[in-house]
Amino acid sequence: MTFTIRAGLMACAASALVATSASGETITIATVNNGDMIRMQGLTDDFTKSHPDIELEWVTLEENVLRQRVTQDVATKGGQFDVMTIGTYEVPIWSKQGWLVPLKDMPEGYDAADLLPAIAGGLTTDGELYAAPFYGESSMVMYRKDLMEKAGLTMPDAPTWDEIKAAAAAMTDKDGEIYGICLRGKAGWGENMAFLTAMANSYGAKWFDMDWNAQFDSPEWKATLTDYLDLMNNYGPPGASSNGFNENLALFQQGKCGMWIDATVAASFVTNPTDSTVADQVGFALAPDKGLGKRGNWLWAWNLAIPAGTEKADAAKAFVAWATSKAYTELVAANEGWANVPPGTRTSLYENQEYLDAAPFAKMTLESIQAADPQHPTVDEVPYVGVQFVAIPEFQGIGTSVGQQFSAALAGQMTADEALAAAQTLTTREMKRSGYPK
Amino acid sequence: MATQHSRAAARFMISPSVLLLLGWMLIPLGMTIYFSLLRYNLLMPGEHPFVGWENYSYFLSDPAFKTALINTLLLVVGVLIITVVGGVLLGLLLDQAMWGQGIVRILVIAPFFVMPTVSALVWKNMFMNPVNGLFAYAAKFLGLQPYDFLSQAPLMSIIGIVSWQWLPFATLILLTAMQSLDQEQLEAAEMDGAGPFSRFFYITVPHLSRAVTVVILIQTIFLLSIFAEILVTTNGGPGNASTNLTYLVYAESLLRFDVGTGSAGGVVAIVLANIVAIFLMRMIGKNLDA
Amino acid sequence: MARMISSRRKAVNTAIAWSVGLLIFFPILWTVLTSFKTEAQAIADPPIWFNFHWTLENYVTVQERSNYFRHFWNSVVISVGSTLIGLAIAVPAAWAMAFVPGKRTKDLLMWMLSTKMLPPVGVLVPIYLLFQKVGLLDTQIGLIIVLTLINLPIIVWMLYTYFREIPVDILEAARMDGAGLKDEVISVLLPMAVPGMASTVLLNIILAWNEAFWTLNLTAAKAAPLTAFIASYSSPEGLFYAKLSAASTMAIAPILIMGWFSQKQLVRGLTFGAVK
Repeated sequence: MTFTIRAGLMACAASALVATSASGETITIATVNNGDMIRMQGLTDDFTKSHPDIELEWVTLEENVLRQRVTQDVATKGGQFDVMTIGTYEVPIWSKQGWLVPLKDMPEGYDAADLLPAIAGGLTTDGELYAAPFYGESSMVMYRKDLMEKAGLTMPDAPTWDEIKAAAAAMTDKDGEIYGICLRGKAGWGENMAFLTAMANSYGAKWFDMDWNAQFDSPEWKATLTDYLDLMNNYGPPGASSNGFNENLALFQQGKCGMWIDATVAASFVTNPTDSTVADQVGFALAPDKGLGKRGNWLWAWNLAIPAGTEKADAAKAFVAWATSKAYTELVAANEGWANVPPGTRTSLYENQEYLDAAPFAKMTLESIQAADPQHPTVDEVPYVGVQFVAIPEFQGIGTSVGQQFSAALAGQMTADEALAAAQTLTTREMKRSGYPK
Repeated sequence: MATQHSRAAARFMISPSVLLLLGWMLIPLGMTIYFSLLRYNLLMPGEHPFVGWENYSYFLSDPAFKTALINTLLLVVGVLIITVVGGVLLGLLLDQAMWGQGIVRILVIAPFFVMPTVSALVWKNMFMNPVNGLFAYAAKFLGLQPYDFLSQAPLMSIIGIVSWQWLPFATLILLTAMQSLDQEQLEAAEMDGAGPFSRFFYITVPHLSRAVTVVILIQTIFLLSIFAEILVTTNGGPGNASTNLTYLVYAESLLRFDVGTGSAGGVVAIVLANIVAIFLMRMIGKNLDA
Repeated sequence: MARMISSRRKAVNTAIAWSVGLLIFFPILWTVLTSFKTEAQAIADPPIWFNFHWTLENYVTVQERSNYFRHFWNSVVISVGSTLIGLAIAVPAAWAMAFVPGKRTKDLLMWMLSTKMLPPVGVLVPIYLLFQKVGLLDTQIGLIIVLTLINLPIIVWMLYTYFREIPVDILEAARMDGAGLKDEVISVLLPMAVPGMASTVLLNIILAWNEAFWTLNLTAAKAAPLTAFIASYSSPEGLFYAKLSAASTMAIAPILIMGWFSQKQLVRGLTFGAVK
């Protein structure tokens, strides 16, 4: 017995040694399990061929787990990751804290000027780029042309919310498992609140007034939430309160949704015939509006950033440059076709005729991205930046708690009024505690 | 009988375990208590001023706290009832003569080996999903409207999933206890004209009480900190409908990165767990004392 | 005294028991079946049972995306390592408690168990900071330490209840024969205790293998076990039931198979003193 124990201990110690000693330089990349990222993982041979001294380790996690792990690591200077995949929300906050390495002196030919201004603007602090966009997105309406035709309707390029509601009503056939509209319902600041905040912007609602008072008691928010619940309860799929982006994508690909208002990146998935049963029937339109001058679309990018704690900043920078370069786009195009390249980051992509031919959604994606204005997201003036989020550290917590209330309203556990009252109370409570107005 | 010498030896032999556990308890606990008195948010670096009881009053006055407390209780008690009752029934069944008993036992204990994350993922997506889940197909087949488990009955669904995982454990312990029951006593009772029900309630049940206590004790320890199942299936929602204390502390310290409030919540959870522990130990103490 | 059981009754028992057994096992069976389907077959309406074209493509995809064998090896090292170290620490303690019980023995035991009630989420940040200071983040050793500590109370308790069932008379007899403490342990106690230890080891390997909170939060790439592997499949884009099933099957198969092969040993000691 003692022998076994000792042998076991030695085996552990030995394998631990093997695990910690690595040849060359190894960089650890934390990334989200989205299709584009997984595709990148498959193409890394191209990188290691040109950088034989750098080895790559991947940590692929689901979005919420990823966010928690990287935030915890960067804030405690844990140093477990050399490259982190983070969103547009994190970049300005983290760069102000000094947690990120500025992306100066990128390799020749990187052409930072080519990045879409709307996207790059959100990643720049004091004139310095702190993260490289891997793909950028806005949101738009994706709809089924065949179902619209059957219902005798046509989708305008720039619909209003009333037109969306009419279309949803006409397409819904619950016995045939066709739901007129699929929207996010899963609680989370990056899930249902991303959609609802963007929708609220188009209704003239806002999170805070100029004195940082919560605004959930406003008639605009009430109209937003009431219309959302009305749409979803009458024309939405069952179980909508646990549907996020991925769940809705699956439903749409199976042909169960008439319309889906969500991220523009979904366009390449729903038009891809290997995964989607409705690939040739998808049409696109701008996110709806209410005639108030703002559309209900957001602006987001997944970006690669280098935490300040890393000792391998140069190797990490080489990788970030590779993954977000024009050459990478061409590599994906050569391997998987132009329709599958990461969209929404570079002007040159939208000037490339091959891409425009292969991607029927390209024009609408670019227009949506350009229509979003993070500096002036709402109809009225507000003290914050960010379209579907408020770029303050407290927002993650508040946004998720509010999202839970709205998700509960969708599940029928409370009324719209109760959910709004709870949201108002908890937002006020949290903001007061954080010392706003600052 | 034990000599001075052997007592000293015994102390020496116990001390590594005690010291390690003491360290494991005191170091994190000490740090947690310390953090719980500071305004400390990971997202806002800089000073961490001392704020006294502010984090505690904030955590305890959160409307979600009461819900979480009730949910924790419901979750623990619900799973205990299902697994103990189910375990007794399954134990009785497996104790009967049959063909292929070994294989049936293998089938029954299998869920115990499944990682909580995996079982939650499988149940959520492949069974409870109201569009593509197997339950939805079954409902449609029977001409019913598919039921949306995770949003209509989130806590019950989680209780179901957790019970599935723990039923084998309860069954195994109860079955072993049943098998140790004196057959002659049962047969004597039968000869005296006792029916199967009175035999069960007057002989088997008292015999099982120790085993039931053990099941309750061990499972409570694990059930109080149920987390992965909630994170994967409902994220504590809709609203707070399936948030337990552990999940609430997680939300404070790892979703909001408010280490101060999270630590205060952690201390509250530890205190409550210890109250449960004391209560349990009293109960077990009576039953386990040989 | 053997009783004749009518074969009709036996047949009824068998039918009921098999139905219940299959019902309980069904989610696992369904997962395994689904892992061999294509994504479209996985969500087919009505569900397809066996009559599909069996494919290994999901396993290939999963293996391409993540290094299964490294995760697997980490799981093995961490669960076996923590169990053996835990055993080495717990055996003397349990032995002493069982054979030289004092007034406080039971309180001590209960206190040990109560440390398991410490909610991990409440102490993650302190532990993370501590691990970062001493360089234990993302190491197998770090995880072994944590898992040893969280499972130690269960190990001590299982061994204690098991040791207590060993009749003291035997030890007395050995002592009369002039056996020292060391001989007592090695030649008398150990042979009798091995089944209990085997069961303890098995249960703790299972618990350590399935532990998902610490293993996910304290690792990144190098030491991440299968619990982290599964975390990257929890909600991918598009249709994913088949891939999720393949990844799930890969994560649970090793421990399931081990559990089945050793279930006799596992069950024998899994009484926690509940059976007298």
